[in-house]
Amino acid sequence: MLTLSELIDVKGEKGNFEIDILKKPRYVDLDLCIGCGACAEKCPGKADDEYNEDLVKRKSVYVEYAQAVPLKYRIDPETCLKLTKDKCGNCEEACPTSAINFDDKEETVTIKTGSIILSPGYKPFDPSQFDNYQYSNYPNVVTAMEFERILSATGPTMGHITTMPKVPVNPKKKKDKELAAYRKDPKKIAWFQCVGSRDINKCDNAHCSSVCCMYAVKEAIISKEHAGDELDCSIFFMDMRTPGKDFEKYYNNAQEKHGINFIRSRVHSVTEVPGTHDLEVVYADEAGEIQKEIYDMVVLSVGLEIPEETRNLAEKLNIEMSPGGFCNTSTFDPVSSSVDGIYVAGAFNRPQDIPQSVLDASAAASAAGDDLSPARNTLTKKLEEVPRINVVGERPRIGVFICDCGSNIKGVVDCAHVTEYAKTLPYVEFADEPMFACSQDTQDKMVEYIKEKNLNRIVVAACTPKTHEPLFQETLENAGLNKYLFEMTNIRNHDSWVHKNNPDMATKKAKDLVRMAVSKAALSEPLKEEKIPMDERVMVVGGGMAGISAARSLSAQGYEVHIIEKQDRLGGEALKLHKTPKGEDIQKKLKSIAEDVNANDNIKVHLNTTIESTDGFVGNFKSRITENGDSSEIEYGAAVLATGATAHEPDEYGFGMDDRVVTSLDLDRMLIENSAELDKMNSATFIQCVGSRDTNRPYCSKICCTHSVHNAIELKTRKPDMDVFILYRDIRTYGENELLYKQARDLGVIFIRYDLENKPDVRTENGSLVIKARDHVLGQPLEIESDLLVLATAIVPRKDEKLANFFKVPLNEEGFFVEKHAKLGPAEFATDGVFICGSGHYPKPLDEAITQGKAAASRALTLLGKKDNLFTSGTVALVDQEKCSSCGVCVAICPYSAPSFLEEGRYSGKAEINPVLCKGCGLCVASCRSGALHLKGFNTDQIFSQIFALDEVV
Amino acid sequence: MGNLIEHIGIERERIHFSWISSAEATKFVDVVKDITEKVRALGPNEKFKKIYN
Amino acid sequence: MPDKDIKIVSFLCNWCSYGAADLAGVSRLEYPADIRVIRIPCSGRMSPKFVLSAFREGADAVWVSG
Repeated sequence: MLTLSELIDVKGEKGNFEIDILKKPRYVDLDLCIGCGACAEKCPGKADDEYNEDLVKRKSVYVEYAQAVPLKYRIDPETCLKLTKDKCGNCEEACPTSAINFDDKEETVTIKTGSIILSPGYKPFDPSQFDNYQYSNYPNVVTAMEFERILSATGPTMGHITTMPKVPVNPKKKKDKELAAYRKDPKKIAWFQCVGSRDINKCDNAHCSSVCCMYAVKEAIISKEHAGDELDCSIFFMDMRTPGKDFEKYYNNAQEKHGINFIRSRVHSVTEVPGTHDLEVVYADEAGEIQKEIYDMVVLSVGLEIPEETRNLAEKLNIEMSPGGFCNTSTFDPVSSSVDGIYVAGAFNRPQDIPQSVLDASAAASAAGDDLSPARNTLTKKLEEVPRINVVGERPRIGVFICDCGSNIKGVVDCAHVTEYAKTLPYVEFADEPMFACSQDTQDKMVEYIKEKNLNRIVVAACTPKTHEPLFQETLENAGLNKYLFEMTNIRNHDSWVHKNNPDMATKKAKDLVRMAVSKAALSEPLKEEKIPMDERVMVVGGGMAGISAARSLSAQGYEVHIIEKQDRLGGEALKLHKTPKGEDIQKKLKSIAEDVNANDNIKVHLNTTIESTDGFVGNFKSRITENGDSSEIEYGAAVLATGATAHEPDEYGFGMDDRVVTSLDLDRMLIENSAELDKMNSATFIQCVGSRDTNRPYCSKICCTHSVHNAIELKTRKPDMDVFILYRDIRTYGENELLYKQARDLGVIFIRYDLENKPDVRTENGSLVIKARDHVLGQPLEIESDLLVLATAIVPRKDEKLANFFKVPLNEEGFFVEKHAKLGPAEFATDGVFICGSGHYPKPLDEAITQGKAAASRALTLLGKKDNLFTSGTVALVDQEKCSSCGVCVAICPYSAPSFLEEGRYSGKAEINPVLCKGCGLCVASCRSGALHLKGFNTDQIFSQIFALDEVV
Repeated sequence: MGNLIEHIGIERERIHFSWISSAEATKFVDVVKDITEKVRALGPNEKFKKIYN
Repeated sequence: MPDKDIKIVSFLCNWCSYGAADLAGVSRLEYPADIRVIRIPCSGRMSPKFVLSAFREGADAVWVSG
């Protein structure tokens, strides 16, 4: 990982790139820095804290935020006194590991790679160029990014919302002091949407930033949680765009449960109320009436834009960009830039939120990996294994290491005393006090001590096991000890760092913690990690675009794939679609992709096939399938569920009664067939949200707005004098699809908004099809006579409970599959070895389905790549079948389906745990009434031993 | 659980449950302070304790 | 009776509260030193037995946090 580095230039081509990188000086040695913060404590330098949106100050030597990776300090050369004026140097003196290096120099490094992934991200729009919002002049107008920090528990106000957030907490300047006197807890906060988005009058950003509606709703809800229900939150918006999974429910909750006001409007201006710093907002409501309202604070929901540097870089690399500066990608290769071998992920691809960016990242990784497939594993080295010492039955001989962590622990806790104390504890053979337990020389010494003193259990009292346990476990293995003969206790994060002002108590606490750890370690046993055999074949369920993309990615990297498709051809719902919003011919492309798949030796396509049963778990699945009536069995190691969704069959607006009322897919069919009927028509009307966003289906189907707008443009282009109307609730052409919305309006497509309470009325009068609605601007009823009525129907999940049961994966209320994590695991299930992509997860357009297909493949590849070193954890549950009463509580309670009843043998009917599926949570152990379940590594007697060690008399 | 410990004669305020995500350091500290304060007010627990003689 | 220190036994979930406690350390937030942490793999591992036994062993309070 190269930090503080900048890409300067790229030479060469796919498979053989040479990349020049400018490495800026950090002035801190990454290998030596232990992140203790002693430097920052002594640093007199001050600078604006960018992470906190400059709302507070930070030191000149700093880490950007507590979760930064790597958690290493850096010196900001612009404010450091040593670097600017050659004074100070406090940090150098304070650093316990001599990591500070003021002579660090900028350097250019060249690296060779086969492919490149660009993920340079975005910058929030700077609203200071708008004079009507007065962001630069009014202290109570903030950007959503600033507000995000204000809401954060680690932010400048620790999550407490106050006005005057930009004024320092302890003001020094006279002007700040004056302003600080006005500081109060706000009673009313307003959010303005689309600041720097969907706007080509005051700025050049025609695109919708896709994320601001959701974050504004989130900020409003959290504000109410922080400040109490009396806080009045209002969101001023044009269209509420919450098309993502579960977003619509969130929006509905914001209105109904949290009482947040949504005001459909255009904001005209903000002015300060004289004598206060309150803000008067002047806006035009939906009817065009001017309204005024006073707020304590205004939050500008600033959009996403691509910074100049990124555009310059892209230009230099010959990467084509959209008008908004986003990377041009095609629908069918959604993470490939116009330069072969350069891939793209995140907001530079298009304005998108976290789940989409994560999917992009996975997809780009697999696309980039396709190119590298031939070179895989050519640079790997094999580790030498040290023979294991058998310690079973031996009396515990515990070695205790009390880490000083420089002065981080020693500065508060009397480590020498704790070490002496440790020596007196039962079974302790040896105790030492290294300056840094994690340093390489201590590790080497530890191995020596283990051998020399014949130690068979190790306790380290240092920092957190969450980061350092694996390191020490490796050391144990190097010394021939099983890695579970190790116990770590946290006397830094949980002790010295948090009880700085109470060293006596901290030392006492450290002794207690060490005693507890020692007593637990005495009971630890070597645990075995079972090797999981891995079948390298993958089954993809569903031969739509998502499934096909997953299969192609997997096959490109040399894995054998079975595609199970219940229809008689590949393509799924995409077979019914005309063109993508980018204008690509879907049928033509599908045909070539299907041919490509059929010619691919690695992909076996099973058409007219259904799955009858599935058994097994990660690495070892087995399914019985029926293909064209014949039954057979296939074995595989991982599964990708890409079963898609289907179109809702409408039962309203005269559908089925009048032939002129059709669905979106019917219109696509007419367009594919180039139907002569279309040319005879003089008018067409679209009704949006047919079956979506209502009580039956409270979700947004995501794709229909863009689909209808695009088809309206098609109709208008075919026949410019055709009258085209779109009746909508919110137009949700997110991202650069917004440009289509604008194009449609420019072409004369008329958009009319309706509410759920006032749905359009469709009837046949004297042979004509008449649509009655209400004009949302004039408030007058209107009638449209139309030759064609297109219903933008909802996308309905298949709700395939059988399949969900086969793979032990969950379905949500609506019947969509539930992914592992909404943000961080969007292409996989919580069940190991099972992956998800396509509209079975949630309705999505083709490009997003393909991205998710590639992402699912990428996640599967990560698993398949571990073939030879995939092990179960040692800390899993184990059943003592002698005690098991077969009550079945464990089988019912386990979220991972690890326990099951044995079907044969001596213990038939008793429970057993599959260690491959077990995550070691211990839920079953706690629930077992017979005491038959044990959790290795966290066994009941081990936890008891810690409790027993609590209050031992010293 | 609260009922059980009350049943054996321990004050309900001596047992606490909470849910804190790994990012909520401030909440963690608030909860620790809150519990410590409450328990200090109660004083040491003298009931249901094993007596060492 | 003599003034005795309070001991609060805390059972912290490895993935949630234990992480929060780590972060509290990284952020150098100070809090009273009366708690003793026992790391458990998940709050589901908790059992009433542990709570009772903690009291039996002299805990003044028990805190379970997921």
